[in-house]
Amino acid sequence: MSFECHEPSSVTDAVALGARFGEEGRFLAGGTDLIIQMRRGKVGPRHVMSLHRVSGLDRIEADGAVRLGALVTHRTIERCPAFQGPLQALVESAAVVGGHQIRNVATVGGNIVNASPAADVVPVLLALDATVTCLGPDGERTLTLDGFLTGPGQTARRPGELLTSVRFDQLPPGSATAFVKAGRRKAMEISVVCVAVRLTLDAAHARCQEARIALGAVAPTTLRARAAERALEGQPLTDEVLRRAGRLAAGECGPIDDVRASARYRRLLVETLVPRALRRSLERIGRAA
Amino acid sequence: MSRLALSLRINGETHEVLTAPHRTLLDVLRDDLGLTGTKENCLEAECGVCTVLLDGRAVNACILLAAQCRGRDIVTIEGLASGGELHPLQRAFVERGAVQCGYCIPGMILSAKAYLEECPEASEDGIREALAGNLCRCTGYQKITEAVATAARELYGGRTTQ
Amino acid sequence: MSTGPRVVGQRLPRLDAPGKVTGTAVYAADFALPGMLHGKVLRSREAHARLLGVDAARARTLPGVRAVITAADVPDVRYGGALKDETVFARDKVRYVGQPVAAVAATTREAAEAALAAIDVAYEPLPAVFDVEAALAPGAPLIHEAWPTYTAIPILHREGNVCNRARIVAGDVERGFVEADRVFEHRFRTGMVHQGYTEPRAAVAVWDTSGQVTVWSNTQLPFEIQNTLAEILALPPSKIRVIVPGIGGGFGGKLRVGVEHFAALLARRAGRPVKIVTTCEEELTAAYPRQSTRVELKTGVTRDGRITAKAGRIWFDTGAFAGSGPGVASVATLVLAGPYRIPNLLIEGYAVYTNKTNCGSFRAPSGPQANFAVESQMDMIADALGLDPLDFRLKNIVREGDEGPTGQVLTAVGLEECLRRAAAAIGWADRRPTADRGKGLACGWWTTTGGSSGVYVKLNPDGTVALNTGAAEIGTAALTGAAQVLAEDLGVDLADISVVSADTFATPFDFGAQGSRTAFAVGNACRAAAADLRRQLCALAAAQWGVAAETLTVRDKHVVGDGKRIALVELARLSQASGGGLIAHGTFIAPPTAYDAKRVEAHVYPAFHSPSFHAHAVDLSVDRETGEVTLHRYVVAQDVGFAMNPTYIEGQIEGGVAQGLGQALSEEIVYEGGRVLNPNLTDYKMPTTLDLPRVESILVEHPSPVGPYGAKGVGEPPNIEPPAAVANAVAAAVGVRVTTLPITAEKVALALSGEATP
Ligand SMILES: Cc1cc2nc3c(=O)[nH]c(=O)nc-3n(C[C@H](O)[C@H](O)[C@H](O)COP(=O)(O)OP(=O)(O)OC[C@H]3O[C@@H](n4cnc5c(N)ncnc54)[C@H](O)[C@@H]3O)c2cc1C
Ligand code: FES
Ligand code: FES
Repeated sequence: MSFECHEPSSVTDAVALGARFGEEGRFLAGGTDLIIQMRRGKVGPRHVMSLHRVSGLDRIEADGAVRLGALVTHRTIERCPAFQGPLQALVESAAVVGGHQIRNVATVGGNIVNASPAADVVPVLLALDATVTCLGPDGERTLTLDGFLTGPGQTARRPGELLTSVRFDQLPPGSATAFVKAGRRKAMEISVVCVAVRLTLDAAHARCQEARIALGAVAPTTLRARAAERALEGQPLTDEVLRRAGRLAAGECGPIDDVRASARYRRLLVETLVPRALRRSLERIGRAA
Repeated sequence: MSRLALSLRINGETHEVLTAPHRTLLDVLRDDLGLTGTKENCLEAECGVCTVLLDGRAVNACILLAAQCRGRDIVTIEGLASGGELHPLQRAFVERGAVQCGYCIPGMILSAKAYLEECPEASEDGIREALAGNLCRCTGYQKITEAVATAARELYGGRTTQ
Repeated sequence: MSTGPRVVGQRLPRLDAPGKVTGTAVYAADFALPGMLHGKVLRSREAHARLLGVDAARARTLPGVRAVITAADVPDVRYGGALKDETVFARDKVRYVGQPVAAVAATTREAAEAALAAIDVAYEPLPAVFDVEAALAPGAPLIHEAWPTYTAIPILHREGNVCNRARIVAGDVERGFVEADRVFEHRFRTGMVHQGYTEPRAAVAVWDTSGQVTVWSNTQLPFEIQNTLAEILALPPSKIRVIVPGIGGGFGGKLRVGVEHFAALLARRAGRPVKIVTTCEEELTAAYPRQSTRVELKTGVTRDGRITAKAGRIWFDTGAFAGSGPGVASVATLVLAGPYRIPNLLIEGYAVYTNKTNCGSFRAPSGPQANFAVESQMDMIADALGLDPLDFRLKNIVREGDEGPTGQVLTAVGLEECLRRAAAAIGWADRRPTADRGKGLACGWWTTTGGSSGVYVKLNPDGTVALNTGAAEIGTAALTGAAQVLAEDLGVDLADISVVSADTFATPFDFGAQGSRTAFAVGNACRAAAADLRRQLCALAAAQWGVAAETLTVRDKHVVGDGKRIALVELARLSQASGGGLIAHGTFIAPPTAYDAKRVEAHVYPAFHSPSFHAHAVDLSVDRETGEVTLHRYVVAQDVGFAMNPTYIEGQIEGGVAQGLGQALSEEIVYEGGRVLNPNLTDYKMPTTLDLPRVESILVEHPSPVGPYGAKGVGEPPNIEPPAAVANAVAAAVGVRVTTLPITAEKVALALSGEATP
C-alpha cells in the first residue's frame, strides 16, 4: 500500500478532490472493504480521500421519504427508532454485518459502492426501490439502486463521483419487510445467500398488492427476483404461493460454486429462505394490524 | 514518500507522530509508540486482537488508517488500569480464569468495556453478541463471558442477568 | 496442619494473568531490538515443479534491503524428525505452493515485500498429486525420488510416497470376522484444519561477536528448536540460545522450526537483528496443520453387541514432507482400535506424501480424525443392531486391568464413569426430545506424553521460591499447576512462587509443552525438587539447632521440629551468608509403559502412558431446510486423574471442545489444484462466541499411579470427541449420517433434500 492521503472537510472539497483524481482516487469511508482490498493488492489507488471529516452525510432523515446519508454506519441503522416497524429488515441486515468493530465504522455508502453481490444491506434497499444520489463536478445525479449496481464491484458511479445519499419512500399501511441470511457461522459471516423481502397487502389484507424480493450472493449483482414477485402480486399469500415464489426465485438466480458453498446449495437456500422471509413479513403485517 | 504529522490522543495523552499515509493506527501504536498491548494477527478485521476504543467505540486498529484518528480519543489496554489498580474487567478476567494464552484478551476486554458502557444490564446473549468480532482460540469463550458478567455486576450493581 | 492439599487442587488464579490483562506481557510478536530488520519469505507459486533458477540480483539492490538469501547461501542440510527430508529452501524442485524459496531482510516490512517481488524464480511444472488416492495410484509421480537415501529412524516402513505404515496386529482378525454375526464396513473422510492460534509464528534473532545466536521465538519446544537450528546452521547447540517470551497459543502448531531458521540465517547475513512474523496467508498455506484423512473401518459384532474383530486403515495426507506424519500415523492406530475390548485387530496407519503443505501436530494429533470414524461407526452399528448407543459402548469398553490394543495393562480406567455421567448430564434417556433435535455421545482415550523434565528451585532471600523450568507456558496454565504442586510440597502459598521458563541457556532441559505432559511432568519434577529443597532446609535448620535433620519437617513457611520453628526467610538469609543460597534440582521421566512388541510394526508410539478416558455428549437441533446446526448444550466427562486446578482444567475442556466443534462444523483448509482457496480468516471459519454452547465439565478422578497427586494429561483430550459427538447427534436429530468433516450445513441440507449422499 502506498498512496497520498487526503482529508477533505466538506462535501464540496471531497467532490473537488474526486474530480481531480478521477480513476486514481478512492473515497475512504469505514475502510472495511477498501483497506483490505488494497492490502490484498486488488486495488491500488494513488490517492485515498478519507471522508472522516466530512459532516452532514451521517444522518438519517425519516420524516417523509427516508434519506440515509452515505456515511451512516451500520451501527446507526441498527439503533434507528424509525426502522423498528415496517422497515425492520434494515435493522436485521445491518445487525449482521461483521461484528461490533465493523458496524461501528462501516457505512451504508461503502456497502453500496463496494457492490459486492453478497452485501447484506443492499438487498434490503433494493427491496425498498431505493435510489442513490451521486455528486460530481457536473452536479447531482439520482439513479435507481437497481440500475446503479452493474456487476461484482462495479457500479454506474462515474470516476470521482461521491455517493451522498440513498433514499426510499415510506411504506404504505399493510406493509412489512424481512431479511434472512445463511452462512457457515452464526456471526462474522459473509452471506452464502441473503434474502430481503417487502410485502404490501391490499386493504382487506386478503391479497398481496406489491412484493419485492432481493437476493444476495446468487448472481453477479444483488438481484431482484422479478418472476417470484409477479407470482405473489394479486394473489392470496397461502403457504403454497410463498413456496412457489421460492422455487421461482431459485430458478431465476444464477449462483456459482465457490469455497463458501456450491451453486446447488445456494439455490436450495433461495428456495427455502424466500418463503421464510415472506412468512416473517406476513406475520409482521398481521401483528401490526 | 509523503509524511503526515498527526496528533493522536491515546489514553488521555497527546502524541505527535509523523507517519506515512498508509500506516494504520495499529502500526503506529505498536511500532512507533511501543504500545504492544494492542495485538496483531490477521490484519483483515476478522480476529479482533487489535481492538481499541475510538471515541468510546470498539474498532479494529488494523484497518484504521492513523490519519482517520486525528483528533479523536483512543483507548488501548494500557489505558485501563489506573494507579496500579486493575480495572474491574481486568480483575474479573483474572479471577474467573478467563485468561489462557492471553493474546486475545486485550481486545476482548476493550470490546467488553464498550459494550458494558452502552448496556450496563448485560445479558449473557448480549455479551456474546458484543464479543462476536473477537476470536479466542483457547477458552471457548465461556469463562470470558462469565468474567464480563461478573464485571458488569461489580461496575453497575446487581442488575446483570445471566 | 490441615488434612488434604491446601494449594494443589484449588481454584487459584494463574500467575501470569495480571500481565496478560494489562497488555504488559510481551509475546514473541511484540518483541523488538534496536536496529532490528524485518524478514520475509518468498514462497513457491507452484505445487510441483523443477526449480530452474532463482535470480535475486535485482532484489539485492533495492533501497532498505540488507540481506537476501536463497538455497545457494545456506548449508545443504536435510533435517526433520523421524525422517530427515526437509531443506531450508527448495533445492532442485519445489513440492508445494508455499514452500520457501528465498528470504529477505530489510529496514521495513514494505521494503522486504518489495524485495520479494523483485526476485525472479523460473519453474518447470511437474505432474503433481493432491490427495492420498493420487499419491498411491500405480505410477504416481514421486514427491521425493531420493526417498531411500534419506536418514530416518530405522523402524519406519517406507515405500515411495508412503513415509510410514504403522501397524497393530492382535489375535486373528479373519477368525474374528467369522465369529461375528454381522460385519460392518464404513468409510470416512476428514478435512485439513489449522490450529488457529491467535498469535502468528514469530521470531527475532541476533548474533553476537563470538558467533552465538540468540532467538526469541514463540515455540512450544525451545530445546527442539535449539537442536534443529544446530543442524541447519551447522553449529554446536551451545552456540544457540532459544528464549520463549509469551506465546499466543500453540496447540501443536508451534512445535517445529517455522521462522526461527530464516531469522537466524538472515541476521547472520545482515549482521543485525532480524524479526519475522508470519502472515495469515502463510499460516493457512504453509504452516503445520492437521492432516486430512481417509478412513476405512470393518467391524465384526455378535447379535448381542459384542465386538469380535476390527480391521481399520487410516491414511494421512502429510503433505510434501513427513513432518510428524510417521508418528501421527502410529498414534492413530491406538485411537482407531478405540477404548474397547476387541480380541482381534488389524489396524494400519499410513502417512502419505502429496504436493501440499507439510502437516504437523494439532492438539491430540490423529485423535479427532480417527475418533470421528470409530465413534460414528459405533452409533451406526448400534442403530443397525437396534441397540442403544450407550449400552452398546458399555458392553465393549475397557475396564480396570484390561489389555489395551498393544497389550498394555490398563489401570485407573474411568471410562464407564465418564460415559454414565456424561449421558446422565445430557439427559440421554430423552435422546430425541423434539422434532429435529437430537443428542449424541462419543468416548475415547488418550495418552499423557512422556519425555523428561528438569527444574531448579531456588530459595529467594525473602523466603519465597523461584521455579526455573525449561517448559514454556503456552496458555494452558500448566506452569501455574506445577507451581501449585511446588507450593504445596514446600508449605508456601502459590503467590510465593515465581516462574522463570523456557530459555535453553538458563533453564534445565524440558521435553516441552506438548502432548498433555507439561503440568504432569513438570509437576512431578517439582515434587522431586521440593523434596530436595526440604531436605536442604531441614539440614540447615538441624545444623543450627544441633539436632538430627530427620526429626524436622517443612510446613507453613517454616522448618519445625524439636519444639522449635525457623522461618524460611531466616533460613534463606543463613544459607546466603554461609553457603551460596539454596538451590534444589528435580527431574522426572515417565516410566516406560510395557506392551507386547510382537503386536506392532513400524510403530513410533506403541502404548499410551497414564491414559486418560473421556466421554462427550451434545444436544443440538438441525434446521431441516438449511441444514444449519444449532448447539444447545455440551457435556464433557473427563478422567483427569486428579484436578490440580479445576478452573484451568475446565478452561482446557471448554477450549478444546471449541476447537473440536470448529473441526466438526465449519473449519477446513480447502485445496484446489494444489492451491488453498481460503487463505484468510474470512473463509477459514473458526467458531465465534455465537457458535458455541455452554460446556459443562465433569471432572472424574481415577488417579494415575505416576502423575503428581494422581494427575493425568488433560490438555489434548477435549479436542478429540466433538466431531463424532456432533455427527451422532445430527443423525439422531434428522436421520442423516454425515461421514465427512466438516459437517457443514450444506452437506446436511443436500442430504436431507435427497440431492447428495453426505
Ligand atoms: C470482518 C468483516 C466482516 C464483514 N462482514 C460483512 C457482512 O456481514 N455483510 C456485509 O454486507 N458486508 C460485510 N463486510 C464488508 C463491509 O464491512 C461492508 O461492505 C461495509 O458496508 C463497507 O463500508 P465501508 O464504509 O467500510 O466502506 P469502505 O471500505 O470505506 O469503501 C468501500 C468502497 O466504497 C467506496 N466508497 C465508500 N463510500 C463512498 C462514497 N460516499 N462515495 C463514493 N464511494 C464510496 C470506497 O472507495 C470503496 O471502493 C465485512 C467486512 C469485514 C472486514
Ligand atoms: S489483527 Fe485486526 S482484526 Fe485481526
Ligand atoms: S486466551 Fe488464547 S486466544 Fe484467547
